[in-house]
Amino acid sequence: MTKVGRALTTTVAISVGVLVLLDLFLETPISFFLVLWASIVVAFALLPGLINLLRTHLEKIRSRQKGWLYSIVLIISFALTLVIGWSGPDSAGGRSVFEYVLYPLESTFFALLAFFMATAAYRAFRIKDFETFLMVAFAIIVLLGQVPAGFQLWPDLPLVKEWVLRVPALAGARGILLGVALGTIATGLRVLLGADRPYGDAEG
Amino acid sequence: MEQTRLAGLLLLLSFAVLILFFSNRAKQKRAPMLRPIAAFQTLKMLLARAVETGRTFHLSLGTGGITNRTTADTLAGLTMLDYVADQTAGAGVSPLVTTADPTVMLLAQGRLRQAHRPDNAGPAYTDARWLATEPAAYAAGVMGIMGAEEVEGNVMLGYFGDEYLLMGEFANLHKPGIATVAGASDPNVLPYVYATSPQGIWGEEMFAVGAYLSEKPTHIGSLLAQDTARWILGFFILIGVVFRLLGILG
Repeated sequence: MTKVGRALTTTVAISVGVLVLLDLFLETPISFFLVLWASIVVAFALLPGLINLLRTHLEKIRSRQKGWLYSIVLIISFALTLVIGWSGPDSAGGRSVFEYVLYPLESTFFALLAFFMATAAYRAFRIKDFETFLMVAFAIIVLLGQVPAGFQLWPDLPLVKEWVLRVPALAGARGILLGVALGTIATGLRVLLGADRPYGDAEG
Repeated sequence: MEQTRLAGLLLLLSFAVLILFFSNRAKQKRAPMLRPIAAFQTLKMLLARAVETGRTFHLSLGTGGITNRTTADTLAGLTMLDYVADQTAGAGVSPLVTTADPTVMLLAQGRLRQAHRPDNAGPAYTDARWLATEPAAYAAGVMGIMGAEEVEGNVMLGYFGDEYLLMGEFANLHKPGIATVAGASDPNVLPYVYATSPQGIWGEEMFAVGAYLSEKPTHIGSLLAQDTARWILGFFILIGVVFRLLGILG
């Protein structure tokens, strides 16, 4: 990017950022239009995304890379979806693709989480030091506190579980959220100050 | 203007002043030493190995975008990309970057183009890939890449939901010799990161990437400003708790 281009993008980005931020405090209508324009520009970005996707998979097929057969399936699915949904996402065909193909596939895929969670928990819950011992102890309390067997073992266990979730766990989560909020503010301010330029050359 | 909004504006301005103050100190090399974070050391090691072997270094920028509440997480991932692209470009290789938002893909392409110019801008278009907007489809795409490519390093930094576990655990099961360096800011996702990434980047540490890896003065300044603001907030929270216990506050 040339120096003029860099200066222009930086000026536009900082001005728009400041205007949208000020709108939170002054309630002017300017930011509404700016955000609307941004949404339109973002929607157009889908086109280069699709070109990138097709280009990657066509190249995979052309050079017979590992898994190239799946790329053929992707391209056929892409073309079929385009044809079926040509009348729009609210048409009968468009809705069918979502209701009978996409949603069931997503649900099936996310159902795998239970098994992945079991293997991940098996690895994470190995006691290596005092910290992991504490984690396992609290995990057992929360686990038993949620099932009838825990109540049978000790009637107060569900109350202990509630305390664990509402006091130490919530305090920890709030601490993390506080840090994340400060990090988010700092990131936003760096962009507004022109120190970070995610829209152009990265400097700082 | 309401009092709370005015207070918010003043808080933002004070924060900006703190960032400028500490950035100036960092430029004069008067900033304190940063505590070591294991994840960043592991990342450097993974990067060196990927460059040496010429194998794929995968960087996932998550399922977030740049026009919603996930923007800061995505920008943290892009800061990581800056560093990774600069380091790999010197060796003539390029990381494989995956995104779920086409706008982020364009930004990633810009970063890769910048790192490789003027020698070769080709990797920008082939190595920053948009997979899908749906989190499940994106996770399936990443798992496909992890299974098909000879991945030597795997870094996942950005906004993630539950789909993180599918990708993180898949990487652990199929590439047991490769450590995954992952970071997330959502407390609901952090347990997954803990279970799959031995050295995770936890919560606010995500926003320290620029300060630790690229050592940019403004990033070091903003990190110190965050720390200062946290101490001040912590002090006021403590005062509030004491007042509440004493019955001074309702």
